[in-house]
Amino acid sequence: MTRNYLIRIRNFVLLLMLQVFIFGQIHLFGYATAYISILFILKLPRYTSKNEILIWAFLMGIATDIFANTPGVHAAATTLAALLRNNILEQFIQKGTADDIIPGAGTIGWSRYISYMLLCTTLFYVTLYMIELFTISYPLTLLISVGGSTLLTILFLIVAESFTRK
Amino acid sequence: MQTILNFLIKHNHWFLFILLEGISFMLIVRFNNYQNAIFFTSANRVAGDVYAIFTDIDSYFGLRTENSSLLKHNRELLQEIAVLRGQLNEANNSKALLNDTTANRYKNNYNFYAANVVSNTLTRLNYFIVIDKGLEDGIGNEMGVFNSNGVVGVIYQASQHYSLVLPLLNNKSNTSCKIRNGNETSILQWDGKDKEFSYLVDLPRHSRFAIGDTIVTSGHSSIFPEDIPVGTIDDIEESIDGMFYKARVRLFADFSTLRTVFIVGRDGYKEQKELEKNIPKQ
Repeated sequence: MTRNYLIRIRNFVLLLMLQVFIFGQIHLFGYATAYISILFILKLPRYTSKNEILIWAFLMGIATDIFANTPGVHAAATTLAALLRNNILEQFIQKGTADDIIPGAGTIGWSRYISYMLLCTTLFYVTLYMIELFTISYPLTLLISVGGSTLLTILFLIVAESFTRK
Repeated sequence: MQTILNFLIKHNHWFLFILLEGISFMLIVRFNNYQNAIFFTSANRVAGDVYAIFTDIDSYFGLRTENSSLLKHNRELLQEIAVLRGQLNEANNSKALLNDTTANRYKNNYNFYAANVVSNTLTRLNYFIVIDKGLEDGIGNEMGVFNSNGVVGVIYQASQHYSLVLPLLNNKSNTSCKIRNGNETSILQWDGKDKEFSYLVDLPRHSRFAIGDTIVTSGHSSIFPEDIPVGTIDDIEESIDGMFYKARVRLFADFSTLRTVFIVGRDGYKEQKELEKNIPKQ
């Protein structure tokens, strides 16, 4: 149990640093950014309690905020995505699947895993850009930003998934 | 009663959710309202130090361009010294002009500081820059920030060792500017879209200017001294109500490659702010 948590904390720090120093620096065409830290929330085992997911997500969000100088923005968006993560995940799990699986291409299949990531990431970015733009004076900017960022993030996550799965 | 209790226990994650979202939105609102949420930005000690290490490594990759721009700035300064020396000689020759009052009037009352850029989150829509000088180095809120190319922004909040800079490329940024060799001042505002351009939103219709004219700071805001370059006019259009011109300005400062910046603060600025605080609100 303790070992599990140590690994989880290591992954947390690793993802955060990758996000801050590499993926956070990417900005395509002025619209798309990548937020790969969301992988941490996506990869928590099935049936992790909602309270636990919420706390991890909030911590990840606030840590990203500190580095990106956007106090509260990522925290609010990751927390919302975390609230609905379990509900979204259940839509893509077939009957008879073990209770404690870690969502991934190997456990639920590529197409289901991608759809699951797509829904969670879209939810995250819609919240993020709504807060950041605050008044939705540019609906088109919002749409392009959400679409572009989601696709970019998913692309990175798919690459990561195919590398870690041997 | 039992059912209500059971219901609440079963859905206890909602309370946690509301609590966490509450904290998040409190941070967002407080930061937007110019309060001291600076701890939750990379101007805090830990994040600032982590960024400093990263920037240290990263800075080696931009040394060549950085060097050439510093050389250019050096050359300009040398030229300026030469010009000033000439003027000093002239003044010394005609001593009659140089009485006490003029000597005081032309006294340089601006202090300059140099700082390194620690984090530059150009990827955000509304972004901030963090520099490695803070209150202990003499930096205070609302000092001007520029680099060898032109104006960068204004100090937004300063902590002990780091400060947060509000760049021109931020919706909150308002900088008082004018056309070089002209008198009409106007406010420079960013529209949140292109990272190379900003806009002079309220140029009076009688002002004379052309595409290619240089925009400089006006010196009215007491943040910047007069005549620091900002950019060149790139395009002109009428404002929506037809009362003013709106000029698109190509900024001199390249925000994606900022490494070193200068900070300028005026003597007695704090005193002025203290006085202004005492003005009764209507």
